[in-house]
Amino acid sequence: MSLTPRFVDEMRTIVGKDAVVVSVEGRMTYECDMHTFYKGAPDVVVLPTRTEQVRAIVQACRRANTPIVPRGSGTGLIGGAMAPQGGVMVSMNRMASILEIDYGNRCATVQPGLINLWLTNAVRERGWFFAPDPSSQMVSSIGGNVSTNAGGPHCLKYGITTNHVLGLELVTGRGEVVRVGGKTLDRPGYDLTGVAVGSEGTFALVTAITVRLTHAPEAVKTVLAAFRTVIEASQVVSAAIAAGMTPAAMEMLDEAIIRAINAGTGAGYPEGAGAVLLIELDGPRAEVEVQGERAAAICREHGALSVSVARDEAERALLWKGRKEAAGAVGRLTASYLLQDAVVPRSKLPHIMREIVAIGERYGLLIANVFHAGDGNLHPMICYDDTRPDELEKAKEANEELLRACIALGGSVTGEHGMGMDKAKNLPLQYADADLNFMFRIRGVFDPARLMNPGKLLPTHPACGEGFRPQRPRLPEGTWV
Amino acid sequence: MSVTARTLGGALIAIVGAGGASDDAAACAAAAIDGRRPQWVVRPRTLDELARVVAIAHDEGLAVVPRGAGHALALGSPPACVDVVLDLCGLDAIVEYNPDDLTVTVQAGVTAGALAAVLHDRRQTLPLDPPGWGSRTLGGIAATAAGGPLRLRYGTMRDLLLGVRFVQADGVVTWGGARVVKSVTGYDVPKLLVGALGTLGILGELTLRLHPLPEAEATCLLPLRSTEIAQDVVARLVDSPLQPSRCELLDAAALAACGLPAAAVGLVVSLGSVEGAVRAQQAMVVAEATRVRARAETMGPGFWRTYDRVLAESGPTVLRLATLATRLAATLDEVRASLGGDAGVTITGCAPLGLLRVALRQDEPAVLAKAIERLRAFVDESDGSVVVERGSTALRTSLDPWGPVPAGPLALMRALKQEFDPRGTLNPGRFVGGL
Repeated sequence: MSLTPRFVDEMRTIVGKDAVVVSVEGRMTYECDMHTFYKGAPDVVVLPTRTEQVRAIVQACRRANTPIVPRGSGTGLIGGAMAPQGGVMVSMNRMASILEIDYGNRCATVQPGLINLWLTNAVRERGWFFAPDPSSQMVSSIGGNVSTNAGGPHCLKYGITTNHVLGLELVTGRGEVVRVGGKTLDRPGYDLTGVAVGSEGTFALVTAITVRLTHAPEAVKTVLAAFRTVIEASQVVSAAIAAGMTPAAMEMLDEAIIRAINAGTGAGYPEGAGAVLLIELDGPRAEVEVQGERAAAICREHGALSVSVARDEAERALLWKGRKEAAGAVGRLTASYLLQDAVVPRSKLPHIMREIVAIGERYGLLIANVFHAGDGNLHPMICYDDTRPDELEKAKEANEELLRACIALGGSVTGEHGMGMDKAKNLPLQYADADLNFMFRIRGVFDPARLMNPGKLLPTHPACGEGFRPQRPRLPEGTWV
Repeated sequence: MSVTARTLGGALIAIVGAGGASDDAAACAAAAIDGRRPQWVVRPRTLDELARVVAIAHDEGLAVVPRGAGHALALGSPPACVDVVLDLCGLDAIVEYNPDDLTVTVQAGVTAGALAAVLHDRRQTLPLDPPGWGSRTLGGIAATAAGGPLRLRYGTMRDLLLGVRFVQADGVVTWGGARVVKSVTGYDVPKLLVGALGTLGILGELTLRLHPLPEAEATCLLPLRSTEIAQDVVARLVDSPLQPSRCELLDAAALAACGLPAAAVGLVVSLGSVEGAVRAQQAMVVAEATRVRARAETMGPGFWRTYDRVLAESGPTVLRLATLATRLAATLDEVRASLGGDAGVTITGCAPLGLLRVALRQDEPAVLAKAIERLRAFVDESDGSVVVERGSTALRTSLDPWGPVPAGPLALMRALKQEFDPRGTLNPGRFVGGL
């Protein structure tokens, strides 16, 4: 669709001339997030600086029946911050301030465009941090993290974004500014904050966020163990959880990733290792000491080839180096890959890793794995050669099969990346018609006109999604009065 | 095989069996809520039975009031209508326990105590301890979002509920969330149902995140001279790497009720970890006490049981106050000023989170209503709230037990209720804004 000059003028009136992008080149910058498969440039990009402007934008879009797509840093991995149906993209880059830091009440209020790490940087000296730590935290925005309910390595202990959001200022699809939750807990009424986190802009834009701050632990200990196979390493995960350990993070790298990393700058992982498990413990010093030793012992009992424990911050950084470089190192293995984010019960990790190997062999594709093992959140990267015909199709099929295998084990489609355009179609794998119908109706309450980020999160359906028919229970026959 | 029924009673009995549905006068009188007697008390044994009963009630235009162990029946406004009381205690199966994943799936009628007994063998715990938790059902704890001292470390049901199977107003069985510890697939439906008092759907089955039991635990009491000192100590504990499992404030009356030495106010702090870490952290707490010239006392392992009993038995009126940790002392002063200095007030609460629980022997509605309105005006400055967690029918009729909800969020809540329960089948009238 294309917008009328009058509508564009209206946008300029709301946010100012220098905050509206209409040129083709300008709009191209916004055509996709990090999942570059899905492209769709908006008709116009606006960069508001105040909540009031966001409300005016939404109201104008409602009058013009125009889709509204929010965007933070555009680092999502799901085809979320892009505009498949055109319309107005609301970039939050100019709403990026810290509004308040309140140490006494352990919270901060920020604007959605604020970069995740900047908040931690602002409070670190006083001994605090913002716990959600997606790998993109140096560039991703907190608004984006809220939108996708982002996770990260340390959410194994600290929980994902939703566990750290106390309140939100929303501009709903109804064009109203609504403040939900806040600094005080237990507000009477439905938990609107809870349902808005992770809703991917499909019913409201977030214009301010009150987050919980976490005090830095007294001590941190990092253990790195190499194993012959990823199956052996997977068994350690369940063993550690069953032994009552609560690591801050438990990350796994498989043989393909190790090879890629060693070929680059080199994190010095043992040659011949089929898997590396990185375990981080944090908390009171004495606890971390004991748990660190136990983690190392469990690794040895499970046949670890080597176990290293970082003695200081420099060594800790070195152990994490490879993990942090993993995503980039994949480029040495393949030019193109499909990235998955499914979750399995962690006790099923050995099972699913075997399955992944089998699927890779069946399709003749390399599947590389670097993932959050502690909570069973897989990130298989299905590598393919896009110069070869059919290979992408094969990769898609392998991807689908893998996803189904995870769900069959009682798992989940996505653990932290979110749905976007990429996974919306997979929602029915995990939910029945009644469940989907419930979600569609939630959306309808916040955004009756269905203009907010259309085509994301929820699958498209012949009857606009409302066609999912819930099954009512069977009732005794007959009539009664 | 289809069943033919010509009366509502026949239909209910066809679903739950003769023993599961009663219109007996005594049974209905015993199940009355705020004096309103139901026509039927129905006790489903399976989720399917639950769904079918709700579907019939919906079609017949009857109001359904779910109940678990009955701990929170004096929470919320008196119901607008009570036709069927749904006793969910018959849904008492532990469906699946996966100790290696630290997850469990239970039916809503399982009590927290029954689950704890099973988990204890594997040294695991569901760290939810609202007053009287042992005999409360998990469905009830979820529906009321009830929390206890352990929420300081582990959060509330909101943080521990991974997935939920519930029955919508028209009887449709619906699932939200996941069975794994991490999932962002679709909307976070479980969040919408926690604390919703069954007004959007009746909880049937919960999948929960568990935690390992700490290997060692120590609890100490810091008797303090004033609430200002207590607030200062709380601020210093919060701004430290200490990871207390609990940090409860007890006023003089609460200290006395728990049989503890007299003081103006006490803080009871517990630490859970491995042995060495517990000792080291305890030393830090003791040092903090010394700094304010107080003498920390080590408490026996039975203290939290005593505390739980004292809280569970308090009343007849209980208020739940949410304010800011930094306004604790001022709020305590205001509570005393509003409710009068007489000995009928007992205050406890999770101090670092700014949460207070005020138990009153007083139940004179007119006096209480005035005091509550004054307190609400006070906490409103910090966007706080005062909810009547337990109170007489007269009190909860004379004022809104939930207090005001701002117009913006309330409009959305109304719209949600209208969408999911337009006929007012589910627990009508008891929730915020008369929902």
